[in-house]
Amino acid sequence: MDDMLKVENLSIAFRTDEGLIAPVQGVSFSVQKGKTLGLVGESGSGKSISTKALMRLLPGTAILGEDTKMTYRAKNGEIIDIEKLAPNSRKTRHLRGGEIGMIFQEPMASFSPVYTVGNQMMEAIRLHRDMNKKEAREFAIEMLDKVGISNPAQRIDQYAHEMSGGMRQRAMIALTLSAGPQLLIADEPTTALDVTIQAQVLELMSDLQRDLGMGMIFITHDLGVIAQIADEVAVMYLGTIVERGPTRDIIRDPKHPYTQGLLEAIPKLDSLTHRLSPVPGDIPSPHARPTGCPFHTRCTRKIEGVCDVKAPTEVDLGEGHAVACFLHADEGRHVA
Amino acid sequence: MLRFTLERLVGMVVTMALVSVMVFLIMELPPGDYADRYAFRKYSGTGVNVTEADIQAIRVDLGLDKPLVFRYFDWIGGIVLHGDFGQAFAFETSVLKVIGDKIWLTLGILFSTLIVTYMVSIPIGIYAAVRRASVADYGLTVFSYLGLALPNFLLALILLYFANKWFGADIGGLFSADYKDAPWSFAKAWDLFKHLWLPAFVLAWSAVAYQLQTVRATMSDEINKLAVTAARARGVPETKLLIKYPARLAINPVVSTIGFDVNRIFSELPIVAVVLGLTELGELLLRAYLDLDMYVAGAILLLLTFMIVFMNFISDLLLAWLDPRIKLGASS
Amino acid sequence: MTSVVNDDLKNGSESELTEDQKRLLKYYSASQWTLIWWRFRRHRTAMIAASLLIVMALFGIFAEFVAPYGPTSRNTKYLDGAPQIPQFCDQNGCSMRPFIHGVSTKRDPVTLRAISVPDTNKRVYIEMCLEGEKTELLGFIPIKTHLFGLQDPKAKLHIWGTDDLGRDMFSRTIYATRTSLSIGVMGVFISFVLALIIGGTAGYFGGRTDMVIQRVTEVIRVVPIIPLYMGLAAAMPKEWSTTQIYFAMTLILGLFGWPTLARRIRSQLLSIRNEDYVVAARLAGAKPSRIIGQHMLPSFTSFIIVDLVISFPYMILSETALSFVGLGLRPPTVSWGVLLQQAQSIRVIEQTPWLFIPAVFVVVAVLAFTVIGDGLRDAADPYAEAK
Ligand SMILES: Nc1ncnc2c1ncn2[C@@H]1O[C@H](COP(=O)(O)OP(=O)(O)O)[C@@H](O)[C@H]1O
Ligand SMILES: [Mg+2]
Repeated sequence: MDDMLKVENLSIAFRTDEGLIAPVQGVSFSVQKGKTLGLVGESGSGKSISTKALMRLLPGTAILGEDTKMTYRAKNGEIIDIEKLAPNSRKTRHLRGGEIGMIFQEPMASFSPVYTVGNQMMEAIRLHRDMNKKEAREFAIEMLDKVGISNPAQRIDQYAHEMSGGMRQRAMIALTLSAGPQLLIADEPTTALDVTIQAQVLELMSDLQRDLGMGMIFITHDLGVIAQIADEVAVMYLGTIVERGPTRDIIRDPKHPYTQGLLEAIPKLDSLTHRLSPVPGDIPSPHARPTGCPFHTRCTRKIEGVCDVKAPTEVDLGEGHAVACFLHADEGRHVA
Repeated sequence: MLRFTLERLVGMVVTMALVSVMVFLIMELPPGDYADRYAFRKYSGTGVNVTEADIQAIRVDLGLDKPLVFRYFDWIGGIVLHGDFGQAFAFETSVLKVIGDKIWLTLGILFSTLIVTYMVSIPIGIYAAVRRASVADYGLTVFSYLGLALPNFLLALILLYFANKWFGADIGGLFSADYKDAPWSFAKAWDLFKHLWLPAFVLAWSAVAYQLQTVRATMSDEINKLAVTAARARGVPETKLLIKYPARLAINPVVSTIGFDVNRIFSELPIVAVVLGLTELGELLLRAYLDLDMYVAGAILLLLTFMIVFMNFISDLLLAWLDPRIKLGASS
Repeated sequence: MTSVVNDDLKNGSESELTEDQKRLLKYYSASQWTLIWWRFRRHRTAMIAASLLIVMALFGIFAEFVAPYGPTSRNTKYLDGAPQIPQFCDQNGCSMRPFIHGVSTKRDPVTLRAISVPDTNKRVYIEMCLEGEKTELLGFIPIKTHLFGLQDPKAKLHIWGTDDLGRDMFSRTIYATRTSLSIGVMGVFISFVLALIIGGTAGYFGGRTDMVIQRVTEVIRVVPIIPLYMGLAAAMPKEWSTTQIYFAMTLILGLFGWPTLARRIRSQLLSIRNEDYVVAARLAGAKPSRIIGQHMLPSFTSFIIVDLVISFPYMILSETALSFVGLGLRPPTVSWGVLLQQAQSIRVIEQTPWLFIPAVFVVVAVLAFTVIGDGLRDAADPYAEAK
């Protein structure tokens, strides 16, 4: 398989005033060239920090697990062990932006308010491409044009606060792509946008991905969005992946009660009732992780004496579809 | 930007007009008037018998018999139209002559204090925010408390004491004895420069304590902003990143409080000047108050306030230039 | 969290509650003030500062009892005398009770001036709560007992030395503490009342009234404050009595101390003037002063208290600075500033460094108020994240 990124056993802990917390535990996934992995889960499930770990962007209080392995194949074919990189080394800086790019939820806050969009774009271009000032500026204008910003030669000298929300996110995409990454991490890039603009941005991202042949990790808490953009899905709950598989399989036939709950939460056009919380109950705090299956405190189908005692292992259901749930433990055995 | 500048300018004029009224009222406050005090000062002890009529003559001569409002306009009109701040009786000459080049000395002290303040507080504040919970960070907290609690004039006394004890040197004053009354020359300017650091340090004391806190707090906020993470995720090298993104914004509150700092410095100046033997406006102001030489006092109070208002104006302009969001807000 | 507690309350009578639940229950049913007090109590530095300040205030209030001598009593036999530190041991052995050495007068062989030197062979013992100079506690209760003094009624004890007139620095500092702290209290009180009126008017009526008041406030904020105070203080007639000057000083300090607090009151009032309960009170025809006092102020009293506490240092420092340069209180009144006036030149500090002791009081008092203010702010608003 043509994996450009392979993450195995990613665990993240934080030193806090209240002691050590472990919001990500043993997460594994991989991304293929030109394909999109969707990472889904409620807020607090550890999606953002998992991807930040890929770029070594976690704060100093974070500790990576000992058997965490993150292997990345760079543009020039070199294999990089991300977990072994020194935090501020040249290699890390090249990885950030030049190999892996990141787009965040708040386009407004992602830009510095005191520099023009062009200033920040040219900075990124000159860091990662061998260009002089003039070439960088021309390239930046080209990129702005590519993401569908009209009048790019003028827009380039504007500040983020002079743009509309949708245009800002387009500019952010242009900024991130201008450094030439081959893997794009998009952390809830459309959550803060209006629905119509959301659709436009999603389309833009799919188009760009196809044109540039990038791999992508698309983070969201909305399975509806995933259906439009991802090839594969991993559903995260409280720092572990509870279900994974090809998007079509997951949407059509979700196996984990949590995934099922998330699917029900997608607002449907024919019903006006919009449920805010996909699954009843609150996500437990990372300071008080439940024992056993992390989801058992909210699960309507939990098996007493099993789910609250030990953690389920991942069961392969065939064709890349896997689930970590005792309800499916038997099916898994049949396949195996 | 032009409209913004004009707006601030008009605001400045209005403020100064109101300030001048207040200053004038303070000048009028002490019992008796200029004529009384002039006559008393000039003739008491000389054996000359001054009658009420003589005093009245002085009064009429100077227009002091007119109602308050007229006197105010006489006074402010003289200043605005002719640069005439009135008479200084303690020196029997015009206020302007008395003040003279003390304005430049005062500005020298002011700017060296501001430079010391920002050269110390900005880098250290930024450093403490980057290295939170380090020794520097704790030291800074302790220092800021002390800086606020130990008044500058006491600090000045303590410094003088130790300078005297350890080096046997009298480090007060603005000039060495050789240059005190010498005409201005390069050597004299250098001598002044050598003497300026102590008052600058003493006056910067509490301003530094205050600004350190501000810089550290804003920098800590800014460091955690998404824009910084986003820039880091684009591979911007760490030092450049810190300077270009959070530090650039962390100085905004400093710039916006330049006027406050000038105010604080001028507020403390008269007292510190007494201790350090600085012969500038603050010390002159104090002497004028003690002698009830109110034209001199009024002129100095007005000048000091004008400098504060002017620096406020400069700080507004600087801030608008530093932060594009402000310009936008002002023009819309 | 709250809902959890409510459920607990519904589910069981109080006797069935566990210790933990009882603690929670107590927590959630405590009043705002109790909560602030609990949080404040955890702030160690602030608690220490508060205790220090209370001791200082008590010393000031009961100055007549604490100080062995009056602020102007002179000991002509001990001019510019060094502090007499109570000791337990000397070359003649040790004792259980603290003592000092007696003083004898000698003539300086060079200058022929009379100087005082300790007589190491003579011990005078120190005692607690003994009779001494007659004074009036708080100015009206006649007492003879003092906190401490010397057994020998003829000898005098100067633990912090004396000034050039032979006045006891300890006693003077204690009396000065009373003056300086009380000036602070009065100044803060006056500026509080003014802030209430001015900020209240601006914030309640808003609009044009507010604009005018804002302009005036701006003018006061822009003039350097100490020179402004000095201008007002300079206008005090020379022939005024010490009492008149004392009250004039409190007025002067209070007169310009209000802008910060007024601003706070104004902005808070502006932000809640259209809340339902305020509108309701207005429609019911209540008077503005009543609406502000009864309905609006209580919602942010804790902020006002914090602001009041942190405005103390400014009052104290201003008074000290003014008196220090001779434009504030005047002798024979004693305040920290007045005492420090004697320590203006390096020569004095060099020869008689103990005259600088009042400075320590100034620093400690200002520090204490600042720390308490910070502690209170954290306690009143735990979410404002201490920066
Ligand atoms: N700097 C940090 N210090 C301590 N805990 C953190 C930190 N950052 C994140 N966490 C913990 O990690 C959990 C997951 O965070 P995040 O990855 O942002 O979730 P998601 O992106 O899925 O909403 C959070 O609930 C929080 O408890
Ligand atoms: Mg997130």
